[in-house]
Amino acid sequence: MAIVEARNISKKFAEVTAVEQINLTAEEGEFLVLLGPSGCGKTTLMRMIAGLEQPSAGRIVIGGRDVTDLPPRTRNIAMVFQSYALYPHMTVAGNIAFPLRARGTSKVETAERVTWAARMFDIERLLDRKPRQLSGGERQRVALARAVVRKPEVFLLDEPLSNLDAKLRHSARDELKQFQRNLGTTTLYVTHDQVEAMGLGDRIAVLNQGLVHQIGTPQQVYDRPADIFVATFIGSPPMNLVELDDVVLGFRPESFLPEEVHPAQDGRSRLPFRITRSEYLGADRLVYGVLEPPYPPTHVISKLPTNIRVEVNSGERHDFAVRLADLNRFDRASGRRLAEDGEAASATSDLT
Amino acid sequence: MIGLKDDETRLLPLMLAPAVSYIALLIGFPFVLSIAYSMTNISVGTTELKFVGLDNFISVVGSQTFWVALKNTCIITLVSQVFVVGLGNVLAGLLMADFTGKWWVRLLILLPWVAPISLGSIGWLWIFDSIYSVINWTARAIGLLGPFDWPIWLGQPDLAMASIIIVNVWRLLPLATVIILAGLSSIPQDIHDAAHVDGAGFWRHHFEITMPLVLPITLIAVLFGIVFTFTDMIVVFVLTRGGPYDTTQVLASWAFFTGIQGGDLAEGAAISLFLFPVLVAVAILFLGVARRTEVT
Amino acid sequence: MENDAVSRDGFSRRKILTTTAAAGVTAAVAPLVRIRPARAATKTLKLLQWSHFVPGYDKWFNNTYIKEWGAKNDTEVVVDNINLSLIPSRAAAEVSAQKGHDLVMFLSPPSVYEDQVIDMKDVYVECEKKHGKAIDLAIKSTYNPKTKKYFAFSDSYVPDPINYRTDLWGEVGMMPNSWDEIRAGGAKIKAKTGIPIGVGLSAELDTAMAMRALMYAYGAGEQDAEGNLVLNSKNTLEAIKFAKALYEETMTPEVFAWDPSSNNRQMLAGRSSLVLNAISITRTGENSKLPIHEKIGLAKAAQGPVRRIGLEHVMDCYVIWKFADNVEGAQKFLIDYIDTFRSGFMASEFYNFPCFPGTVPDIATVIAKDEKAVPTDKYAVLSDVLSWATNVGYPGYANAAIDEAFNTWVINTMFAKAATGAETPEAALDQADKAMQRIWAKWKEKGMI
Repeated sequence: MAIVEARNISKKFAEVTAVEQINLTAEEGEFLVLLGPSGCGKTTLMRMIAGLEQPSAGRIVIGGRDVTDLPPRTRNIAMVFQSYALYPHMTVAGNIAFPLRARGTSKVETAERVTWAARMFDIERLLDRKPRQLSGGERQRVALARAVVRKPEVFLLDEPLSNLDAKLRHSARDELKQFQRNLGTTTLYVTHDQVEAMGLGDRIAVLNQGLVHQIGTPQQVYDRPADIFVATFIGSPPMNLVELDDVVLGFRPESFLPEEVHPAQDGRSRLPFRITRSEYLGADRLVYGVLEPPYPPTHVISKLPTNIRVEVNSGERHDFAVRLADLNRFDRASGRRLAEDGEAASATSDLT
Repeated sequence: MIGLKDDETRLLPLMLAPAVSYIALLIGFPFVLSIAYSMTNISVGTTELKFVGLDNFISVVGSQTFWVALKNTCIITLVSQVFVVGLGNVLAGLLMADFTGKWWVRLLILLPWVAPISLGSIGWLWIFDSIYSVINWTARAIGLLGPFDWPIWLGQPDLAMASIIIVNVWRLLPLATVIILAGLSSIPQDIHDAAHVDGAGFWRHHFEITMPLVLPITLIAVLFGIVFTFTDMIVVFVLTRGGPYDTTQVLASWAFFTGIQGGDLAEGAAISLFLFPVLVAVAILFLGVARRTEVT
Repeated sequence: MENDAVSRDGFSRRKILTTTAAAGVTAAVAPLVRIRPARAATKTLKLLQWSHFVPGYDKWFNNTYIKEWGAKNDTEVVVDNINLSLIPSRAAAEVSAQKGHDLVMFLSPPSVYEDQVIDMKDVYVECEKKHGKAIDLAIKSTYNPKTKKYFAFSDSYVPDPINYRTDLWGEVGMMPNSWDEIRAGGAKIKAKTGIPIGVGLSAELDTAMAMRALMYAYGAGEQDAEGNLVLNSKNTLEAIKFAKALYEETMTPEVFAWDPSSNNRQMLAGRSSLVLNAISITRTGENSKLPIHEKIGLAKAAQGPVRRIGLEHVMDCYVIWKFADNVEGAQKFLIDYIDTFRSGFMASEFYNFPCFPGTVPDIATVIAKDEKAVPTDKYAVLSDVLSWATNVGYPGYANAAIDEAFNTWVINTMFAKAATGAETPEAALDQADKAMQRIWAKWKEKGMI
């Protein structure tokens, strides 16, 4: 397996910059998710790693080898496309065997490997069918089998789950993670779905407008977003932001709870809150409202687990609080996160 | 108030009427008429008919020219289709690429299709002319033809057949190219990308991915081409009039020369009816292909 | 004052602009509008005929003659000129629709339409009353002795002399006087200069005439004087063998791709030492100022083993459909046309020769001195054309069987097959004979021959 590096990669289409000066490394065996809204450059970046696009500047290095100027077929990578891109005129077996035949693998070995890959994804009974006779989930498995069969150094997966219905997506995600663990192949995974990213990624690279905003574990990205974009892009509902002079305070809705439910020993800051509306979602309640002085009247949301039975009614004022450790502080001008140390100190002095 | 259902039942025959009457008047009626004619002794100068059964067909089958015409029709149709499909694929492939002036090149390639067949054929008549042949003068100028070589394109049976095939290819290539181009553009880019990543080289990519995927639509182009070539008489009429000595006669031209020029409408009709079985076969294939593409 | 000048100037410029614009529009639209006489005529006469090889003829006929005749007869005359090869299909369409033109001119005897046309006897009688007897060639081309019907009316015919390069033939010291001399001289010239002769062997009009000329000169023919099929004869075989030798020794394969204008092109391009054609070649040369026309001479039809004989190049044959709207007008038109035929003869630059010699009594003097020809007496050779020109179907009449055989190019194909060696002369003759027998049987059964 191999380390995949993007060194100072830029890509311009005519006058539009799709990817700007990206540096990124996927460690050996790592599952790295490229997450971002559509048009952020994540797919372009992946296509450059695959060799389907030429970067305007920078180098792509796979397993220590500079492959920037090499065609896709010499990079020993496998790619699964959003549409699965199965060859419609070939059977499932033909599809899976295609990469092997293209490499001149012997017939016997090809047959063995196809069976191996088909078994891995439990699609042996489908081998003689044509793609059009398969369900969405089956197609996705065939695409994965076709990717796996050549034992590549790197998997590139471009939103492979987005064409599945919600129910199937959960189990597919699980299986995907399982087989990646088993094979231990370095994997880059492009998605715009943060839940997928959080669930699958060893690390997540958050991209927007051609720039990497943050690379980190799901927890780092969620709990310590590097800037306001990451803070609001990840999490549903997104992080609450409160502007205080040149600082922006951020806290997750699930950290914003009635003061009485916080354990007494935790350092916290109180935020008076006027409730306007609440939604019952089964496991949670979403409570909408506006902060009261001394805070500017900002719309914020609280996410209360249903087992917290404190009464919060529309129109009422209620003291809510956030654990100091759960407070994020961003520079208002640059949007960047402010240093941890200062954060704790100033938060204490500001509040209570 | 008129219900929607009422509207539709009334609208349906109304909308179908133009197509049905077109087929009935311009295809059905002449077809029935030619069957009727083929079993009489009608000639251009007479309007009174006598039923003669299959006499005309027997006479047609007994004539040597008929068999030559039948053979030529098949050869011209098949050979020109082979070239049309081959060249159409190459051209369409080239036109898929991005380059400046693409629009103009596409227009140029489409022109032969837009030009009337007779006009184009007359242009070719000059290209193949025994004295002014552009091909010969060019070939001589660049030294391909010696001072005593001077192929007479329309005067030597093999060259005359070749000339007719060339004009048919020229005429049908644009349509085939456009159809294949449509087929090529309908292949998702993902499939090509997948083939790249999967390690397919140029030839494997072309023969195992692209070709099979444009095959169904290419078949449509071929079927069109067959119908157009098989039933065409204008190219032969303008270029060789069936000559030299009936060696390039095709069914349509032979039917015309017999029926109209020669005045034997009945036998002309009988000859033209030999086109029918082939066209029916093509039509059936057409429907089959259409159905298959619907499923995919 | 200055103001005035400016405004006047501006006005006049504007006026010029509008006037020219209007003129432009008129010029653009004019061809689309059929120009009618100022006062609408009460009758209409519609003609269909070929686009004449001599453009001056159509100019005179369409712009002068029919206008005058129309004004005199209170008739709007409409002429549709079409390419000669389209006439048969157009005629067939008109018959099947039982609707079309009043007068249709064919370029060879249209015997197959006999049932569809009116008897032209009255027209002939009327013309003969005024101008004397019509020539035998005209009668043989338009009369069916079996049914005693004149199925067409022939106003004129076009001689088909030999056109040869006087310089090339002079260099080999020969004259194309007989078929044997054509063969020997043509071979010599071809060997010496590479320039072949051009006698068509293709499915078209000129070939049909040339090959018949050769057959008749060999004493062969499609039929005898009574209309019986006699193609399969020793004489025909001899003619075929001669044509094969003639092709091999003096020609190139281009004669298999011959069309009615190939003669003209080959000769005017200097690529031919001899062709059989009407005088349109030299006329084109003269009118387009191609110097080569001075080197092209004309000669009578070639002498064969049996006789000196040639065909007409084109036979004008007017028919009037039974279903025509204006039969009377059409008949009168033809009669009046013969009255003024001399103008037509001059307008066609001697291309159309009269079927009523009385209409151009001074023809020999007129053609002996032509202002365009070099030498001026080039066309004098045509003065005794009637002694060596005959009709298709000689020595019989141009009947329906002859017509069908002519138009399906049976004779052309027979000669071409033998000349290329695709068939032996015997086999080629045999195949042609079979085809002719079928045609003869068919028309006999219909009672037309």
